[in-house]
Amino acid sequence: MNTIIQNILAFTVLAFAIRFLVLKFVWKPKKKTAKACGGTDGCGCH
Amino acid sequence: MSKQINVALIGNPNTGKTSVFNALTGLNQKVGNYPGITVEKKEGICKLPRGVKAHIIDLPGTYSLNASSLDENVVIELLLNKNDKDFPDIAVVVSDVENLKRNLLLFTQIKDLEIPTVLVINMADRMNYKGISLDIPYLEKHLETKIALVSTRKNQGVDHLKDLIANYKELSVNPCIDASEIDAEYFDNLKKAFPNQLLYKLWLVITQDVNFGKTDRKEIDAIAGFKTKSESELKRLQQRETIKRYQFINNVLKKGQTIDASQAKDLRAKLDRVLTHKVWGYVIFFIILLTIFQAIYDWSSVPMDFIDSVFASLSEWTNDKLPSGAFTNLLADGIIPGLGGIVIFIPQIAFLFLFIAVLEESGYMSRVVFLMDRVMRRFGLSGKSVVPLISGTACAIPAIMATRNIESWKERLITILVTPFTTCSARLPVYLIIIALVIPDGRFLGLSFQALTLMLLYLIGFGTAVVSAYILNKILKIKSKSFFVVEMPNYKLPLIKNVALTVVEKTKAFVFGAGKIILAISIVLWFLASYGPGEDFNNAENIVKAEYASQNLSEDELHQHIASYKLEHSFIGITGRAIEPAIRPLGYDWKIGIAIVSSFAAREVFVGTLATIYSVGSDEEETIKNRMAGEVNPILGGPLFNFASGISLLLFYAFAMQCMSTLAIVKKETNSWKWPMWQLTIMSAFAYIVALIAFQVLK
Repeated sequence: MNTIIQNILAFTVLAFAIRFLVLKFVWKPKKKTAKACGGTDGCGCH
Repeated sequence: MSKQINVALIGNPNTGKTSVFNALTGLNQKVGNYPGITVEKKEGICKLPRGVKAHIIDLPGTYSLNASSLDENVVIELLLNKNDKDFPDIAVVVSDVENLKRNLLLFTQIKDLEIPTVLVINMADRMNYKGISLDIPYLEKHLETKIALVSTRKNQGVDHLKDLIANYKELSVNPCIDASEIDAEYFDNLKKAFPNQLLYKLWLVITQDVNFGKTDRKEIDAIAGFKTKSESELKRLQQRETIKRYQFINNVLKKGQTIDASQAKDLRAKLDRVLTHKVWGYVIFFIILLTIFQAIYDWSSVPMDFIDSVFASLSEWTNDKLPSGAFTNLLADGIIPGLGGIVIFIPQIAFLFLFIAVLEESGYMSRVVFLMDRVMRRFGLSGKSVVPLISGTACAIPAIMATRNIESWKERLITILVTPFTTCSARLPVYLIIIALVIPDGRFLGLSFQALTLMLLYLIGFGTAVVSAYILNKILKIKSKSFFVVEMPNYKLPLIKNVALTVVEKTKAFVFGAGKIILAISIVLWFLASYGPGEDFNNAENIVKAEYASQNLSEDELHQHIASYKLEHSFIGITGRAIEPAIRPLGYDWKIGIAIVSSFAAREVFVGTLATIYSVGSDEEETIKNRMAGEVNPILGGPLFNFASGISLLLFYAFAMQCMSTLAIVKKETNSWKWPMWQLTIMSAFAYIVALIAFQVLK
């Protein structure tokens, strides 16, 4: 039981991580408006 | 719904527009005591008396409405286009009390566009210091405006400014001067051709290439019966207009402003003579740099060791206390070491930003720009390229955006292409960990070898940028050079609040921005390192036990061999070994190869990746530094991170274009994939060759 729960948790975390990386680097949804940029917001600067 | 009005903050560079913006909106946009910080408009909301809301737009600094660069165009295109959703109901022109005469040129131009305008005289706290006194009622009467005397440093006058904005309908929209007097006949014809348009607006459109609404320069030229003038004639008229404006301003200030030079306590000229001296200026700058890098090492070693050990203990605790299984392993061997790989660098990053913020706030950074201009001109670039190159020490992305104030396209392009060579904060974690591993402790003239190496890497980055600019300058054959006028701001005691905000915000951006990527990559890497295909991976335990059956290994040693064998036959191990032949000549093993590939997302990922891979491949919970120090070169034997491979890695990261976000911003700024792809290919190839030579010579 414990193994199953641990595996489910681990693979869920993996799915979120992959989704984040895909959205960050591969497919970026278009933003509606460009707000402030150049200061502390980083403008996409990691 | 409460009423919302658009408020445009306009002014010359470095008059403190962004400070006024922050004071009005309560936001914390970056401010600095040097020109060119704002290159795009920024927006915020300010609550005014009587429930009125103001949509505040902070525009890039401009000296006049005669635009010559992209950032200045932003201002003019907004002011000329009534259909723009952000077209201001009121313009707030921010001026600096010490440069009122020059600042008023822009003010009079905006007034002539018949936009309700308030004049903010900022830095009012310096009036006594400079022996300046102002007759505000007189100035208000003759400039036909309302004036707010503001000191954002002391938070004075902001409420008065809010009142003035709220009552914007009471402001006069009368122009300051009648621009048509510069050529009455020409303006008469213009009026006949466009009876419903504001004359001064038409004049601005005619004299420069800006677009507003449906009226542009070509359309005006095409109107039958109206002949516009040649470029040189228009320039002459523009000069006449400027002279006329200054005559008006001089007349107003003659009575409205008194400067008692005897009361001015001015150290500035004396300081400037030393700090911008053609010899001492560079010596002082060099000493300041040395002090910064030495301090970064001396001050941050204790907190760094502490953070490193905390993460090692946290991994150990997670393994001990949580039930065993995949998720626990992911936490202990993937996420915690991966995050540790970025958090450990917070002290050094924070100290670096602290020093940069102090230099910016004090006004010294503008002197550095001036000093560097002398160097840059020899390499075919103007000092305007220095601002992006210096801001590149924090991050290449805002630095590349800062090139928008360079008028010449070719010069701007070259600056965009070479800026990624500047040592950004993302390189710092890689440099710091490798330097700590391969550069011996020891001092030269009181300076540690490690601090000197770090400084050398910064100089190599800047030097490569300048030399590359020189080569590109020859290849691209720049004919048009942009002129460079830098405004020397006054020296100021840095405000602790501003410095602290900059340090906190930048460190936060570094940790959370990179942290998210590192966390996600660590998770993916853990999976790739913990699972593998085929019998070799699934039967690792039996295979290793059989292999070492004849040797009397302890339980711990056997576990270590099994973990190592599994890692080698995991998905990541197989991938790593596939790319190993390409990186072996540089002195790296497959694990470093994986770290290089994953750090293409962001350079900081390098350390987190190694921390995760080593963590999966080992049974012991150790600090990142110890794990890296303990790695053995599988081919040559001895430590993997030795002097030769370390220097090779440092040089690889100094030159390689390991940043996807930078490539994306270069594409955006050049509007083409051609330039980022060239940049990627040339920088990567150069980095590979230099790293190869370094290792082969030093091994």
